[in-house]
Amino acid sequence: MAIATATKTASEDKELLISGSEAVAESLTLADIDVVTAYPIRPYDTVMQAIAKKIANGQLVAEYIVAEGEHSQFEIVKHASTVGARVFCGSSGVGWMYAMECLVVTPPLRVPMVCLVGNRALDDPGAFGVEHNDALVVRDLGWLLCWIDTSQEALDTTLIAYRVAEDRRVFLPLAISADGAFLTHSQAITMVPPKEKVDRFLPRYDRGDLLLHPDNPITVAPQANEDWVIEIRRQNDEAMKRAVGVIEEAYADFRRVFGRGPENPWFEEYMADDAEIILVGMGTISLPIKVAIREMRAKGRKVGLVRLRWFRPFPFERLVKALSGAKAIGVIDRDYSFGSPFHSGVVANEIRASLYNADKRPPLLSFICGLGGREVTLEDVNKAVDMCEAAAKSGKADAKTHWLGVRE
Amino acid sequence: MAETTFGNATQVLEPFRGIKKVTLEEYFTSGHRTCQGCESALVMKLMVKAAGPRTIVLGSTGCMYVANTTYYTTPWVVPWMHTQLGSSGSAALGTAAGLKSLMRKGKMKAEPINVIAFCGDGGGADMGLGAISATLTHKEYNSLILLYDNESYANTDIQLSGLTPYGAHTTFSPPGKVHRLIHKRWKKNVAGLMAAGHPECRYVATVCASYAVEMMNKVRRALTIGGPTFIHSLDPCPKGWDYDPMLSHELGELAIETGIFPLYEVEDGVVKYYGKTKAIVDGRPRKPVREYLLKQGRFAHFTEEDLGYFQGKVDEQWEKWEIPGVVPFRKLDAAQAALNVK
Amino acid sequence: MSALICEVVYRGIFQKNLAARIVRGIVLSARKSERWGIAFGRYGDSPQRNGIPAKDFAIVADTKEELEQNMARYEPKHVDVTICVDDTLCKGVESWAWYGLQPINRLTEPNGTLLMTSLQPFEALLKDIHKKDAPYKLSLIRAKASFSGLWVYKEDHTEVRILGALAKIAPSFLTLDAVAEAIKEMEWGSELKVASARKAFDRLETREVRITEGNPEVPYAFEMPKWWEMREGVTIPAIPIGKPKEGGQGYVPERNPYFKKFSTRTMRPVIDFDTCVKCNLCWISCPDSCFDVMPDGTFDANMESCCGCGVCEAVCPVEDCITMVNESVFNDNASQWEAWRKDKAGYKTWLTATIGDKKTTVRSHGFRFRGQYDQELKQELESGGIEITAGIPGENADRKTV
Repeated sequence: MAIATATKTASEDKELLISGSEAVAESLTLADIDVVTAYPIRPYDTVMQAIAKKIANGQLVAEYIVAEGEHSQFEIVKHASTVGARVFCGSSGVGWMYAMECLVVTPPLRVPMVCLVGNRALDDPGAFGVEHNDALVVRDLGWLLCWIDTSQEALDTTLIAYRVAEDRRVFLPLAISADGAFLTHSQAITMVPPKEKVDRFLPRYDRGDLLLHPDNPITVAPQANEDWVIEIRRQNDEAMKRAVGVIEEAYADFRRVFGRGPENPWFEEYMADDAEIILVGMGTISLPIKVAIREMRAKGRKVGLVRLRWFRPFPFERLVKALSGAKAIGVIDRDYSFGSPFHSGVVANEIRASLYNADKRPPLLSFICGLGGREVTLEDVNKAVDMCEAAAKSGKADAKTHWLGVRE
Repeated sequence: MAETTFGNATQVLEPFRGIKKVTLEEYFTSGHRTCQGCESALVMKLMVKAAGPRTIVLGSTGCMYVANTTYYTTPWVVPWMHTQLGSSGSAALGTAAGLKSLMRKGKMKAEPINVIAFCGDGGGADMGLGAISATLTHKEYNSLILLYDNESYANTDIQLSGLTPYGAHTTFSPPGKVHRLIHKRWKKNVAGLMAAGHPECRYVATVCASYAVEMMNKVRRALTIGGPTFIHSLDPCPKGWDYDPMLSHELGELAIETGIFPLYEVEDGVVKYYGKTKAIVDGRPRKPVREYLLKQGRFAHFTEEDLGYFQGKVDEQWEKWEIPGVVPFRKLDAAQAALNVK
Repeated sequence: MSALICEVVYRGIFQKNLAARIVRGIVLSARKSERWGIAFGRYGDSPQRNGIPAKDFAIVADTKEELEQNMARYEPKHVDVTICVDDTLCKGVESWAWYGLQPINRLTEPNGTLLMTSLQPFEALLKDIHKKDAPYKLSLIRAKASFSGLWVYKEDHTEVRILGALAKIAPSFLTLDAVAEAIKEMEWGSELKVASARKAFDRLETREVRITEGNPEVPYAFEMPKWWEMREGVTIPAIPIGKPKEGGQGYVPERNPYFKKFSTRTMRPVIDFDTCVKCNLCWISCPDSCFDVMPDGTFDANMESCCGCGVCEAVCPVEDCITMVNESVFNDNASQWEAWRKDKAGYKTWLTATIGDKKTTVRSHGFRFRGQYDQELKQELESGGIEITAGIPGENADRKTV
């Protein structure tokens, strides 16, 4: 992959007032996707509405197919990808669940589909507010998973997603999670780069020897048994490990070409360098947390935030480095994992596991907050920090998982 | 390449004028783990023989996936990919859309490539019905969906599906001491359903591998005519139906001669009957269904009452339906008479 | 021995219910001496397919601990008794791709027993059974292979004869009386069946087999690739396109090298190239694409691929042009067309003799009509229970004249 050289930066970009979904649609236009399938479910489907407009107005040339259900929706793009088409898909909540049979096979089939998951509570109980469990359900299967929290990040990450997923060393499906409503539906100033820049960053999708075409006669996915499956899984294991390097390469290249972007792809550190209390979360939970942190800092409390971008591959080594120096860690999960160790949330358990072998293991408190679209308030964040400070003083965290904001 | 009315190029596949003109090349070859006498395997062989080398085949879960590729092997010469049980419709659509998009944008050499997705009766008429229906509305994409019907979920060791005949013995419908018949549903009329429900689908047909040249010519027609198309094939299954494999060819003929399975095609809304079915429509007496049913172990438990019921339902298809064998619509007077009799 | 491990090697589907009765019978008979046992099918064999070799197992042990050593496995490493219920299986077993051709006695313990139902003499069988690097015993029950299907069973007493024979082979685990008791308790048991079991016990023929005896051929095998040698995305190369037979004429398809399927055969088609009218029906009706197209327009059934379904005989319009003959008559997979081309008169002589032998053309491959098994059994019982009577011709026999 040739390394692009930097030219003029922000001045060539267009400034638009758009939502996270619309930002993704901008990226898809720049990436010249070939096939997209739509099915209505809130809140992700605003992206499909935005793409429809792009196609109708001739800004994007792609096959736009409205499926009769999410299972078909995802299967259609899976197959389009195997013949070499660059594809896009997406869903939310139980819609994503309806597609599950397809989601489980795309990693072993090495189909680099890029999807938007508009995080939504699984219903029943019916709610279309944000919860992260929908995207998290595929966390063991070989999907690349990341969480974004601004329209700008939505746009940039979509381009990076194609670059990473379609890299032959990776060839894995990738889901970008965007919090329902807060990100999918609210509009912010976003810089949209010109196509020439994107073309320097994003090469064509080349399926190579895995292409399904009469000029490359292959059989894809014959029935296998215990003589073959563990070898196939091992290949997936290797691909996920390779993804780590490919992600770092992609972000470095992104900065060179577009003149912006984070130095650390894996997570955003906000006032975390000298923090005694570090909060950890994913997605738009970062916004109220940042507001709270600024207030606390003004009062002399040393609090910071680590906002995880990439959940798979999970950046366990780097996180340990970032978190070891704290006096206490508070993980705020916008998800649940009933019956798991300490009855925690998913992220808390993964961070606990990452810290297990570390020399320094600060006390870790687990919080569950903001489920089903409930706002995470400053009050919630303050409560969490208070408890972390108590743990930092005593040097021990209680093993209980705290549910914040519940009427009790 | 043929330009069709929808602006989609298809291959021009001429019908074979007799068995000696059939091409020799095999695109589905020996070395698949199917039963002795498996008519579904024969359907695969004939299907791609008719389609030729510029073809991509998508195979949904079932015998023609598992048996053909057990384990980590293949008998396919043309490119083939597995798809999920209920995904034959979406696989056809996705593959065709992917190819079309790339060719339209100049990212791939433009040429007509056959896209064929197959499904069994379980994967097609039960689970995947919705997806197939959706695909048949997309006239801008060329594909053939072929439903091979061995009248059970055969790969999982024979369970009943929506296309299993009345009263048949399967592991979900064993004749027992208290209930002789557990499965009392009548077989869905899939080809008729597809033809009646999708006005822009130009070609729907029924076939049987016992009439090999006719079957291949219908496959060729489906691939040439353009847009999404559907073929329903009846495949005698020596494992699920319990009979000596060498009878496979004969049972296919008997299914048609008894009128149980009609051979026809619907092209642009016009119904055309074929072979012995045409003779039946023209007045030739049908063979009694018992001649067909009692040659199969799955009906060995049938009493005279069961045989009579079965015969009566088949008689209805030919004597009472407005379009015999195709759709169960009746003329008003016949329906009125039925009401009066009640 | 503190455990008795038995395998039943059989024709999938045709003998599925037979095998299940045998292995359950073994466990329930051994239970009479208060032993513990398990009966199971080999997971990789399912879903079973008509004719494709499959295996069931019965393991009986003195203690639960010994039994546990053999659980949570797909297949035991060694068996004390290999029970083979179709003697054409003794040519080797290929159950799925990459499996290779495995000798019938591969798992049989040194000094163990290979128990078979067969009408062939010992010497004929030992031409087919592969050599083993240890001595073993070959025991025969004189009986036809018992075939039925999934739904209608042929009650020809094969399962009880096997159990009776096992009482002779492994008396410390199954006494004849225990077998009799277990049979009587079965849903399918009867006094008549007990009598058959006892007869089999008495009539069992056994011979020692030395390591020098057997088919010297080394059966084909495959080495599986490592995880990093396998193409990614669960993809494998397609089979290449075939080629003309000779001088640009005819056609021979390329075939799947990893699964040949010929070990599925109990019978193979014998073809009279002189009377062939080149109607193409056999070639087009073969579900296994096994007919090679010859330059002269006739069709040669490729014996590496033919699985013996018999559809070709059924559709051939010429009487005696294609005749299914029992696989035990043949010693290799050589091309019949080549043999005919080399010596047409000699081939014709051989053909006439072969298809004229009623013993080897009789077909017993499952259900044909309701009441069929009762009729067959009545005939066999009336004729003494062992003799083969005139065979059942192809269903289209009345339409076979040209």
